[in-house]
Amino acid sequence: MATATMTFARVKVQRRFGLALRVTLVIALLAVAALPLVYGGDVWAQRISRAAIYAIIGLSINTLTGHAGQISLGHQAFVGIGAFAAAFTASRLGAPLGFGLAAGAVAGMATAAVVGMVALRVTGLYLALVTLAFGLTAETTIFNWREFTGGGAGAFAPRPDILSGDRAFALLCLGVLALVLYADWRLVSTKAGRALAAVRNDERIAATLGIDTTGYKLAAFSLSGLAAGLAGGLFAHWNQVVQAMDFEFQVALVWVLMTVVGGLRSRLGVVLASAFFALLPLTLPNFLSGLPWQPPFLNEAVYHVLPPFIVVVMLLLVLRFFPGGLGQLLRPATRWLTKGGRR
Amino acid sequence: MSRRQLLKVEGLSLRFGGLQVLDDLSLTVREGRIVGLIGPNGAGKTSCFNCLTGIYRPQGGRVFFDGKDVSHLPTHRRARRGIARTWQNLGVIDALTVTENVMLAQHQRAGYSALAGMLGLAGTWHRERELRRDAAEIIEYFGLEDVADERAGELPYGVRKTCDMAMALATDPKMLMLDEPASGLSPEEALALGTTLRELRDRLRLTILMIEHHVPLVADVCDYVYVLNFGRLLTEGEPEAIQRHPEVIAAYLGGAAEPGAGSDGGTVPVAAADGPPDWPLVPEGPHSDGRPDGTA
Amino acid sequence: MGAFIALGVFQGAVYGLLAVGIVLVYKAKRVFNFAQGEFGGVAAFTAFSLVVSLGLPYWVGVAGGLAAAVAMGLTVERVIVRPLESESRTIMLVALVGVALFTIAIIVLLGQPIPRVMPPLVQGTGLNLLGAGILPQQLILLAVLAVLAAAMAWFFKTDLGLAVLASSQDTRAAQVVGISPVAISRLVWGMAALLGGIAGLLYAPVGIFTPGFMTLTMLVPAFAAAVLGGMTSLPGAFVGGIAIGVVQNLGIYLLGQQLKVPGAAELGVFALLMLVLLIRPQGLLGKEA
Repeated sequence: MATATMTFARVKVQRRFGLALRVTLVIALLAVAALPLVYGGDVWAQRISRAAIYAIIGLSINTLTGHAGQISLGHQAFVGIGAFAAAFTASRLGAPLGFGLAAGAVAGMATAAVVGMVALRVTGLYLALVTLAFGLTAETTIFNWREFTGGGAGAFAPRPDILSGDRAFALLCLGVLALVLYADWRLVSTKAGRALAAVRNDERIAATLGIDTTGYKLAAFSLSGLAAGLAGGLFAHWNQVVQAMDFEFQVALVWVLMTVVGGLRSRLGVVLASAFFALLPLTLPNFLSGLPWQPPFLNEAVYHVLPPFIVVVMLLLVLRFFPGGLGQLLRPATRWLTKGGRR
Repeated sequence: MSRRQLLKVEGLSLRFGGLQVLDDLSLTVREGRIVGLIGPNGAGKTSCFNCLTGIYRPQGGRVFFDGKDVSHLPTHRRARRGIARTWQNLGVIDALTVTENVMLAQHQRAGYSALAGMLGLAGTWHRERELRRDAAEIIEYFGLEDVADERAGELPYGVRKTCDMAMALATDPKMLMLDEPASGLSPEEALALGTTLRELRDRLRLTILMIEHHVPLVADVCDYVYVLNFGRLLTEGEPEAIQRHPEVIAAYLGGAAEPGAGSDGGTVPVAAADGPPDWPLVPEGPHSDGRPDGTA
Repeated sequence: MGAFIALGVFQGAVYGLLAVGIVLVYKAKRVFNFAQGEFGGVAAFTAFSLVVSLGLPYWVGVAGGLAAAVAMGLTVERVIVRPLESESRTIMLVALVGVALFTIAIIVLLGQPIPRVMPPLVQGTGLNLLGAGILPQQLILLAVLAVLAAAMAWFFKTDLGLAVLASSQDTRAAQVVGISPVAISRLVWGMAALLGGIAGLLYAPVGIFTPGFMTLTMLVPAFAAAVLGGMTSLPGAFVGGIAIGVVQNLGIYLLGQQLKVPGAAELGVFALLMLVLLIRPQGLLGKEA
């Protein structure tokens, strides 16, 4: 009896100790991640903003492809329309930043909903084709529509005084990312998450359980577009100018691949992979020019294509060895950290 | 026979290209009954289920459920009216755990909107806990508590089949449509299933329409049986009358059934999961020895 | 306007070539080959390097370009397609998108992202048709197409050709004829790459070309052409290509020149693609739904 109580007590102590250890560890990791923001100056603040914006885009694609099982190869259209809408609201209408971001989100959502409505009548591979074609069409029509996008010079998106500092803006981006992460977490933990899992796996089964499959797919499109438009709005104010060339189709393909590399349905994996590919073009030139030996063919233009190159190599490795992406690799660690909690 | 008609099907016709799958099929299921739908393989039984749940769009005919015409409703709206079904190849989402599957089936009575859930509004957390508790209850009823947190795809066939049934029940249906609930079960399990079905009918006042090949089960639990052959209604009646019906025997032994199927001696063949179209109803004599007990 | 139609027919013929490659892969493997355009990109850049940079004869450039395209097709088949055969079609599609991006990146890495001008095979002004100046290059295109059409019509009547066509329905059909599924797979990807390569070589001399030009400008019209032909019909895909070419150029004429809408060509193709998918998903020439 006594030994039983002792064992019980020890288990309890261990459990409490384990929890404390895990909480400490998470806080420590977050603190390390916050270091560049505190000590890295404006350069790192800008990079962190970009990483957060990419992470929102990754989560947007994850909503569509990971949760609903639908593919979009035209995400640059949603992000781009969000960016131009935000810039238009800020510079032409002179509205506060919040309105611009809202306008971007609504524009992204509306576009995605329209594309979704049309696209839901086709399935699978055809959907990929339709979204690719839509992205390319948007690129050459909407983004070249002078009154809306300011033509070649681009549309300006000035920041308000309070956010003019790069660190303040980075905090805004991180705040929006936190909201998106929270929404994604609640989405998968409640009935919508289960319904989407059913829709993704077998629409007939989903429908016989009372789930409006078309409605959910359309909602996933709209939600994905909303996050993409929001990210576009943030991008507009991050760069303070938006140009059509920021949203080439290669960019959209890189986004899809980076999300798959991160691991569909893995929040942590998607965020990490998105951040990596956001920072790659910014840090790679410095890194390469710091090398003792310079490969002969490197120059500015080459830096531009290295990220797609690297994302593809990573994609092929991931598909061959870890179909669950980065998230699958990290799963033992995340499972230990959240041990006891529900998924 | 004065019970209320829960399901009424009038003149259902379904064609795939030149193939007449269902031909002017009419049937009625009264509230609180267990009704069997039997017939040789390819008779159109599962197609009939697919028409009733709205997965197939029949070319002709009407379906009334609970007094209302549901012929033009999409599948999910029919499900919300109280039609639940199981599947021959299982309506379980393999990627989810058993608990998640049952909670998925509770979708329509979650009591909060998908948007509220996503925003994490206060009520949704509470409702999720309640749903989980209800799910645990259903899981316990079906004896699945040991595998509740396992992914459905990793479980053996029989367990997934039980999970499918638990899910159909978790939708809180008025009518349960079971597509070969006994296939792949051992004779003992099939008998236990009979007990479960009667319990569902008597205690939860559920109405059940089931496709089944396993004779002892049909004879044991069904109040009424419809026999389908080549998409048409061959006959209908109480189970023991059906077993002696000459046309039924001819349909199973004649053109439709494959040669060599069952019926040598008095044993009752139990249809395998995707096995040959066994002759399920024993033709010789009124006393089939496969019957578990004397009840009819 | 006549000039636009004539131009559309020639441009559409190149779309048709790509579309036939797409349909070939789709029939055999049920995947959308988003890397099809880059077979042409590889062929064009190889030929350019050989002819312009190294000053070799034109025919060496053509042979080298086609060889490079076929080598790429076989590599993709071995490294990407076969290992991922058991994965979902979405994963395969993402991987093929990756191949297209990868190829563009390689071309940029090796040769810089500058626009290039590929000299046509034959110089000269050619003749005038419907108000459009038809270049000798385009007459060569017609001749090449005629030869290709005859060759393919013959090929798909042989046992091997029939086995290729049957392989999507039934892998055993191929084995009965005594050909391994792997051989069929190689053959399909090799042929698709060859068709893509030819399209690239024919299209590159029409204007300037940059890395990724085939994927950027040709891939969506080619897919639209394949869809128009019902995704499974080889002649349908080719006819669809010509239809797309004409619609695109009419779009440029009506929307772009008359109404000054930006991106008229893309808009025309997109609208046609959507129309076909929504109204007649089996395509204009397709048989089954």
